[in-house]
Amino acid sequence: MSVSDGPAIRIERVTKRRGALTVLADVSLEVPRGQVVALLGPSGAGKSTLLRCINHLDTIDSGKIFVDGDLIGYREHGDVLHELPDDHISRQRQRVGMVFQNFNLFRHLTAIDNVMAGPLHVRGMARPAAEALARTLLKQVGLEEKAAAFPNQLSGGQQQRVAIARALAMSPGVMLLDEPTSALDPELTQEVVATIRSLAGQGLTLVIATHEMAIVRDFADRVLFMVQGELVEDASPEEFFRVPRHERARQFVARHA
Amino acid sequence: MSIVVANSSSAPAAVQRVVHRRHWGAWIFGVVVLLGVAALVKAAIAARIVDLGIVGQYIFSRQIVTGAINSLALGTVALLIAVAVGLVTALMRVSGNPILVAFAAAYVYLFRGTPMLIQLIFWFNAFPTMFKRLHVEVWGTVLVSVPMTQLITPYGAALLGLSLAEGAYMSEIIRGGILAVDAGQRDAARSLGMSTARLMRRIVIPQASRIIVPATGNQYIMLLKSTSLASAIGYLELLRISTDIYASNFRVVELLTVAAFWYLVMTAFATAIQTGLEQRFPHR
Repeated sequence: MSVSDGPAIRIERVTKRRGALTVLADVSLEVPRGQVVALLGPSGAGKSTLLRCINHLDTIDSGKIFVDGDLIGYREHGDVLHELPDDHISRQRQRVGMVFQNFNLFRHLTAIDNVMAGPLHVRGMARPAAEALARTLLKQVGLEEKAAAFPNQLSGGQQQRVAIARALAMSPGVMLLDEPTSALDPELTQEVVATIRSLAGQGLTLVIATHEMAIVRDFADRVLFMVQGELVEDASPEEFFRVPRHERARQFVARHA
Repeated sequence: MSIVVANSSSAPAAVQRVVHRRHWGAWIFGVVVLLGVAALVKAAIAARIVDLGIVGQYIFSRQIVTGAINSLALGTVALLIAVAVGLVTALMRVSGNPILVAFAAAYVYLFRGTPMLIQLIFWFNAFPTMFKRLHVEVWGTVLVSVPMTQLITPYGAALLGLSLAEGAYMSEIIRGGILAVDAGQRDAARSLGMSTARLMRRIVIPQASRIIVPATGNQYIMLLKSTSLASAIGYLELLRISTDIYASNFRVVELLTVAAFWYLVMTAFATAIQTGLEQRFPHR
């Protein structure tokens, strides 16, 4: 099932509409394995929607999305795409980790139970093994001592690091991070950025929708810039900051330079 | 602009004491209320409205205690069935399937929209005359065949009526609880690869349960008191036993006092359970 030589993510001419509004306009993209992509653009440009579509949390109106060579969410039959059954889509999602702007930790579970949720209830792992795995991951994000804390007892930065550990527990090849630091104050942003940087060093494929310059400058391999549902810029970070082509990208660079 | 630095040579300024405002109006009104209550108690004692000797004679009598236990059991079992019925119909209501949504909505409208008393009388008096036998047959094999009057005892009719009526309220409470769970929780569960059934069981329902505990405790108290409606169809619960006794000895006030006492005990019991659940499963 693993197609080790193909791209981690391939997006072919994806369009999504919400009423009269085109949220994604004919987006095509390939992300090679292990690449760290920073997805930039003004609010409402479609960054979140693009990430959610890669995980089939949002549906698309036309086009195709592949993860590890697998068509996500649909079965191709002639020139029609049929939506897959729930359990099949669930299996596809196991290979893609997702981190949300508002953390979305399970509020009724402790930090360690949050991290164990996937292995325990999705993979069917035995409890002792799941617990050992969860402890290792909490240690990795530096929150070993917070294992028994509930989300409402953690700071935003700590919650986001638990959320990252929770996503890692399914050992995904691809991680989608939807504005992971936007709900955090500058100090807490630092610790979450450090955690994300450590992921980048592990060979994971990361797509990070963000406004955080530290991510873009320090460890992104590639910058994508979206405006009104279109990918208007695709460059290395150096190139993006040196010669932004699109008008909105120029404004963005001018503001953050 | 001048800056004054306190030091040992200058005398420290006195720290002012703060006196908060007194709410004289409320205190005066409180005294008036107290005087009113005292006057009522004095009048009640003077008029000898209740013979405490008679109350004491009945309050722990076997008949009355049996009635109280019957009421508590009926209300409790009815609540458990109502929660199950409510959960199923609430899930139907949020399923998005038009048939299931319409069925659940019609159930809630019908059973919440008609008086409980009418429903009890319907199940006890009307239903057995509409369907005279319960007959279940699968491929020629008769599984059950009994006359309906044997199934629909006063207890059976009361349990059926209270459960279905209460189920309609619980359905709306549980639906509200499910909708109150943040959509982000579902997104997170889905992104881990949980199927819809699993994420409902592991994530949404555990959180919704915590949200609905206070409202369900309220319904439990209402239901315990609504068991008194079963007196109308001859079930020997607390009220029916009390009225049967005062029908022969005419001690109306004393026996209603006894009944009220036990309803208060049941309410305290339900409140204790609710408080315990809220502490055990806090809403976070």
